[in-house]
Amino acid sequence: MPRRIADLGRVLVGLFAVLLVYLAGVQVIWGPHLADTAQNPRLAIAAQQVQWGRILDRHLTVLADSTTQGGRQVRRYAGGSSLAHLLGYRSARYGLAGLEARYDPELLGLPARDPWQALQAAVGRSMRGDDLVLTIDGTVQQAAVQALEGFRGAAVALDPRTGAVLALASAPAFDPAAIDAAWATLSRDPGSPLLDRATSGEYAPGSSFKPVVLAAALQGGRVTQQTEVDCAASITVQGAVIRNFEHEQYGMMTVPDAFAASCNVAFVHIGMATGADAIVGTARAFGLGRAPRFDLPAASGHLPDPRGLGPRGLAQISFGQGSLLVTPLQMALVAGAIANHGALMWPFVLSQVRAADGRILESYAERGTQVVLPPAVDAEIVQDMVEVVARGTGTAAQIPGVVVAGKTGTAENPQGQTHAWFIAFAPAERPTVAVAVLLEHGGVGGQAAAPAARRVLTAALAAQAAGGGRP
Amino acid sequence: MTSPAGRFLGALSRRARERGLLVGALALGSLGLAAVHVALYPAEPWRPVVLGAVALAGFLVVHAALSASGSGADEVLLPVAAGLSAVGLVMIYRLRPDYLLRQAAWIALGLVVLLVVLGTLRDLRWVRRYAYLCAALGLVLLLATVLIGVERNGARQWLLLGGVAVEPGEIVKLLLVAFFAGVLTDARGLLMLPGPRRWRAELGRLGPTLLCCLGALLLLVFQRDLGLAMLYYGIFIAMLYVATGRADYVVFGLVAFLAGAALCYHLFGHVRVRVDAWANPWAFASSGGYQILQGLYGLATGGVVGTGLGAGHPDLMPAAYTDMIFPAIGEELGATGTFCVVALYLVLIGRMFRIAARARDVFESLIASGIATALGLQAFIILGGSTRLIPLTGIPAPFLTYGGSAAVSNFVALGLLLGVSGRLLAGGEVSGAAANR
Repeated sequence: MPRRIADLGRVLVGLFAVLLVYLAGVQVIWGPHLADTAQNPRLAIAAQQVQWGRILDRHLTVLADSTTQGGRQVRRYAGGSSLAHLLGYRSARYGLAGLEARYDPELLGLPARDPWQALQAAVGRSMRGDDLVLTIDGTVQQAAVQALEGFRGAAVALDPRTGAVLALASAPAFDPAAIDAAWATLSRDPGSPLLDRATSGEYAPGSSFKPVVLAAALQGGRVTQQTEVDCAASITVQGAVIRNFEHEQYGMMTVPDAFAASCNVAFVHIGMATGADAIVGTARAFGLGRAPRFDLPAASGHLPDPRGLGPRGLAQISFGQGSLLVTPLQMALVAGAIANHGALMWPFVLSQVRAADGRILESYAERGTQVVLPPAVDAEIVQDMVEVVARGTGTAAQIPGVVVAGKTGTAENPQGQTHAWFIAFAPAERPTVAVAVLLEHGGVGGQAAAPAARRVLTAALAAQAAGGGRP
Repeated sequence: MTSPAGRFLGALSRRARERGLLVGALALGSLGLAAVHVALYPAEPWRPVVLGAVALAGFLVVHAALSASGSGADEVLLPVAAGLSAVGLVMIYRLRPDYLLRQAAWIALGLVVLLVVLGTLRDLRWVRRYAYLCAALGLVLLLATVLIGVERNGARQWLLLGGVAVEPGEIVKLLLVAFFAGVLTDARGLLMLPGPRRWRAELGRLGPTLLCCLGALLLLVFQRDLGLAMLYYGIFIAMLYVATGRADYVVFGLVAFLAGAALCYHLFGHVRVRVDAWANPWAFASSGGYQILQGLYGLATGGVVGTGLGAGHPDLMPAAYTDMIFPAIGEELGATGTFCVVALYLVLIGRMFRIAARARDVFESLIASGIATALGLQAFIILGGSTRLIPLTGIPAPFLTYGGSAAVSNFVALGLLLGVSGRLLAGGEVSGAAANR
C-alpha cells in the first residue's frame, strides 16, 4: 500500500506542477501582455492618476484637453462633435477609441515600450502626459464638417506633397464627451453615427474611379490622349446593357473629352482595350484594395480578382461599378497621388509628440511614399482632370483665380439613390491640397459633391495662404 | 535510536524544529497584518490587528501542548497550516477588514477543536465500526441542505444550525473519508482476489458505496456545488486505488467522470455557463466570464513580485476574499506569493502522504491518504479554478479562505493526521532517525 500512496502523491504533485507552470505563464511570460489590454480596469484606474496630454491641431489650437469633475478627470473636446471619429473618446465604460486609443501611451506620458510597468513605477507621483500635435487644420476641418451638413457622408483633405491629413470628417457624428450617456442611442441609430465613414465606409467609386482606368490605359500605350472612342448611348457586353448617364450620347470623341463628359460607354471601350490586369494592378498601386498605412484602423475596400472578371466584369469596373469598393480616405489618396506627380504619400495625422514643457519628443514630416505612375502619364491625367472642372461634369468645383482639377462620380448602389463623389486637387499647376468627398445617396457627383469639395478646397487654400503654406 | 531515550530525544528535536518554523510563520503573518494596516487603514485602531496576531499565536499553544505530551507528531504540518492561515488572514484583512476579527475567531475555534481532537481521538480504529453511520450522517446533512438550506454568496448552500450558518460540505468531506476508509479496509482483501469471489465482493461492498457516492454527487449537482462533487468523487477514486491497487477502477472512474461531466454540461444550464465562461471568458466579459477575467488580469498585473500589499486592485474581483483569494494573492504578492502558497500546499500534502504511507494500520493509512487527497485536491480545484486552469467552482482553499466550517473541518483533519503521525513514534515503529532516512 505505501507504493500506491506514493503513486497517488505523485499524481497530486503532478497536478500542482501543472498549476505552477501555468502560473508562470500567466503571471510572468504572458502577464505584461495580458495586463496591458484595454479591458483591464486597472489601466483606467491608473490612468486617472496621470493628467492626460492634450491634442492640438497644426496651429497648436487645443482640440482636446481634460479637466477635473467631481474628483475624476474628464475629457473636453473643443470642437464638440466635429472631430469625433478622428479623436475618439475616453469612456470608463466603453474604453478608448480613435486617436485617444491609438496614442494612449503618449497621452499618459509613457514610453511606448512597456507602458504598464512604467505606469506602475509612476503611480503615486503627479504626472502629466505628452501632447499630440496633429496635421489637422481646425478651419479646414470646420469647412469639411459644414460641407457634409444635411448628408451622411465623409470628406477628407490632405496635403498631397506629404500625406499630412488636413481634415477628416464623417457625418453623422456624435459628441465624444457625452459618449457614456448617449451610447445606447448611438449604437442603435440606423445612421450609424459611431462609424467613421472617412476611413471605414466602403462604397462603389463610380466614375471617380475613371482616373485610375485612364492611368492604366495611358500607361499601357494602346490608348493615348488622341485616341478617338465611341460615346454611344449604350453598349451591350455579354448580354449586359451599359448606358450613359441620362442616356447622353456624343458619338466619336477624344479620350480627354470622354473623360470630361464622364462617358461610361467610351470608358467601357477604353477599359476593354486596357485589360483587367492593368486596371486592377494600377488600382492596387493607388492603394485601393488594401488598408492604407494610417494612424487609425482603416478599411481595405475591395478589388476584384482580374482573372475571374470576364468581359462583363471588366466593362463594369471600367466605369467604377461592379464589385469595386473604396473608402473616402483611399479616394483622397488617389487624388493626392495624381496631384503629387504620380507618387502616393501615405497619409498621417500625428505630426509631433510634445512633452508638457513644449519639448518636441517625436516629429514626423511624412510616413513613406510609393510611386504609382510615371510623371509624364500623370501630367496628362492632371490635364484631363483640369478639363473636367473647366468645362466638364465638375464645373461646380471652380474657384475664381485657382485652377482646380477634379473628377465626379455618381455611384449606383443597391440601397437606393446614387452616392455622389468628387475627388479634386488645387492649384492644378502646383497642388497643395487634395480632397475626396462622398455623400451617401447624395445624387449626382457634379451637383452635390463638387460644391462640397469646393468649400473644403477653398478653406484649405485660404488656411495655407494664411499660414505661409507650412506643411 | 530505538531506545526510549532516543525516541524522547527525537521527539524533542522535532518539537524544537516545529517551534522554529512556527515562529517564522507567525512573525511573517503579524508583519503582513501590520503592513496592511499601515498601508490601508492607518487611522483605524490597532486592536483588531493585535487580536488577529493573538489568534495566530494560538498555534504556539498547540505546539506547547504537543511538547508537553512528549508527542512525536510530524513537526512540519502545524507550521505549514500556520503559514497558510497567516497568509489567508492577511489577505482577508486587506480585502475585507470587517472580516478580520471573524476569521481570527474561526482560526481560534479551529485550534481549540484541534486540541480536542488531539486530546480525545488517541486511536482512530474504533471509527471503522461506524463507517456506515458516517455515510448516513453525511447524506442526511447533504439532504438537509437541499431541503432546508439557505443560499448565501451565490450558489453555495448553507445550513442554519442554531443561528450559525454551517457549510455542511466541509464536514461531509471528512465523514465520507471515514466511510470510504472503513468500507475499503473491509473489502480490500476480497477486491484484490481473482475470479468470482471478487465479483461478489464488488457487488456486495462497492455497490452500496457507489450508490452512496452517486447519491452525494446528485445532491451536490442539485445544489450546484460542482466543486464539492468533483472533490468527493476524486477522493473516492483515489482511496479505491490506494486500497486495492486496481488501475482498472481508476480508468473506469475517470471515464465515468468524463461521461458524467459531459452529461451535466448538456443537462444543466449552470454547468454550461461555468464551462463556457472558462473556455472563452472574453466572450462573456460582462456576464459569466467577468470574475475569471478579473482574476486573470489580477494575476497578470501581479507579475513576478506583485504590486505589494494594498497597492493592487484585487477588490475588482468579485468574491476576492473567498473564491478569488488566490488571484488576489497573485496580484499583490506576485508569482512569488502564488508559488509560495503552492509550495506550502505541496509540503502539506507531501507530509500527509508520508504519514499515510508509514501508518501500520490499514484503516488509519486509508484515512490519512483520504485526508491528504481531500486537502490537496480541494486546493488544486480552487487554485486551478480561480486562475482559469480548470473551470471555476467555488470551494474554499484549505486554511486560506475565509470561513468557519472550513476552518473547523480542516483543523480536525490536521489533528487526525498529527495524531496518526504521533502514534508512529509512540508505537516504536518509526523513530525520529528513521523518519529522516
